[in-house]
Amino acid sequence: MISLFKCEFMKTRRRYVFMTAWAILAAFLAWIYPRHQSADLLRLGWMENLYELPLVNAIFMPLLSIIVSSRLCDIEHKGYMLKQLAVTEKRGKIYDAKLIYGLAIMMSCVMISWGMTIAFGYHVGYQGGVPIKLYLFYLLFTAVPTISVYLFQYTLSLCFKNQAIPFFVGAMGTFLGTFSMFLPQFPWLRRSLIWGYYGALSFVGLFGWTKENRYQYAHFDVIGIDWLSFIILVFVCVGMYLIGREIFKRKEL
Amino acid sequence: MDEVVKTTGLTKFYRGTAAVSNLDMSVKKGRIYGFLGPNGAGKTTTLKMLLSLIRPTAGEMEIMGRRMNEKNRIEILRVTGSLIESPSFYGHLTGAENLRILQTMLDIPKKNIDKVLQIVRLDHQRGKKVSAYSLGMKQRLGLAGALLSFPQLLILDEPTNGLDPSGIQEMRELIRSLPQQYGMTVIVSSHLLSEIDQIAEDVGIIANGKMMYQGKLDRLHQIDQSKSLEEIFLDLTGKEKSL
Repeated sequence: MISLFKCEFMKTRRRYVFMTAWAILAAFLAWIYPRHQSADLLRLGWMENLYELPLVNAIFMPLLSIIVSSRLCDIEHKGYMLKQLAVTEKRGKIYDAKLIYGLAIMMSCVMISWGMTIAFGYHVGYQGGVPIKLYLFYLLFTAVPTISVYLFQYTLSLCFKNQAIPFFVGAMGTFLGTFSMFLPQFPWLRRSLIWGYYGALSFVGLFGWTKENRYQYAHFDVIGIDWLSFIILVFVCVGMYLIGREIFKRKEL
Repeated sequence: MDEVVKTTGLTKFYRGTAAVSNLDMSVKKGRIYGFLGPNGAGKTTTLKMLLSLIRPTAGEMEIMGRRMNEKNRIEILRVTGSLIESPSFYGHLTGAENLRILQTMLDIPKKNIDKVLQIVRLDHQRGKKVSAYSLGMKQRLGLAGALLSFPQLLILDEPTNGLDPSGIQEMRELIRSLPQQYGMTVIVSSHLLSEIDQIAEDVGIIANGKMMYQGKLDRLHQIDQSKSLEEIFLDLTGKEKSL
């Protein structure tokens, strides 16, 4: 397994997959943070992030998953390499090695984004200390939906030669997942879409916000963690992994 | 072990249509077996089944005296080299880097890379990106990949496709030398009788998924001495078509 993982690094030489993902992440961070400069937002900053970022993640992380999985799988399709690999190693192991490599890239982005959020908060001077426990929950509730979305996207990218198919499905899923966040009265909708779990697992609410006063009298509070959604998602991840692996094992090359 | 490959009743259906039907194939050790048939006859499907790239609908396969199953599949295939349809490679990597990946996966000595690059005469192009290779060079790199572990069985599907006449000649000579030099058994498929005639000792002729003739190439000449080899081949493949 270690040699297969090593091969994944060798394969992506000159493809700059890590660098591409980090460059997209850097552009994304540069876009979202400059807005946090008003006095109200500095007061509410730590909690405001936990309220806003799940929505941003629901758009950004699935799109990044599409790019990373497609970039990693496309090289196998373009060079007809899957049939070569399949006679060299067990298909399940090939699936696992590539998945771990892709997840390492995605998790590096989740971690960097999380670390940068905290660093940025200190840099601009958010009031109070970082609520570390809540930020650890936020990290968990960003990582697990990202794993599920990546798993889905990766299996599609590996099974379809034409990368337009996973791209289209991923883009539609991202749209529906984001849309579901604006319909909190339908929790089943969020739970029925893997892209909807960024919203289903967000646990901070905004209170006292008005159009006139905006954030002046507003505050953020924990509205409770939806552990049922989390458990469902963990099972979905395991199920998708097992099904995706089996599909790849049975695929005729 | 006299037979390196033996299939019994090998069958593959695609949506109710038989691509390969009840095929009994027998390839003897240290020989070059020409697998001949017109386009769409079922050659590639058969070879892909031998390599477990597709699942047979029915039938059995024995490779190197061992019946292939899910458990021993990789163990058997690791002593098998193959070049199916088009050569496999990562275009953004150099020829040597491509082979390095296979060498790492197969866990074989690094020196094999230099050796096979020399055999296929790509040693001077080893540092060049494969995307810049000509079709012939890519084909030779594919062959280098197949030879990398110096397998006991080599399966080549239309290896001269897309090569110029000198490339074809070079490939033929190389294939012919493999059994003597490295003790390999070679299965080489083609739709060109002249191609197989110049390389193979044994031949299997397939048409519409059925084995029409299997045996020594010399004996094929004796089927009807009044006819040329082409005519015999056309008779055999045409007979099935007209059924």
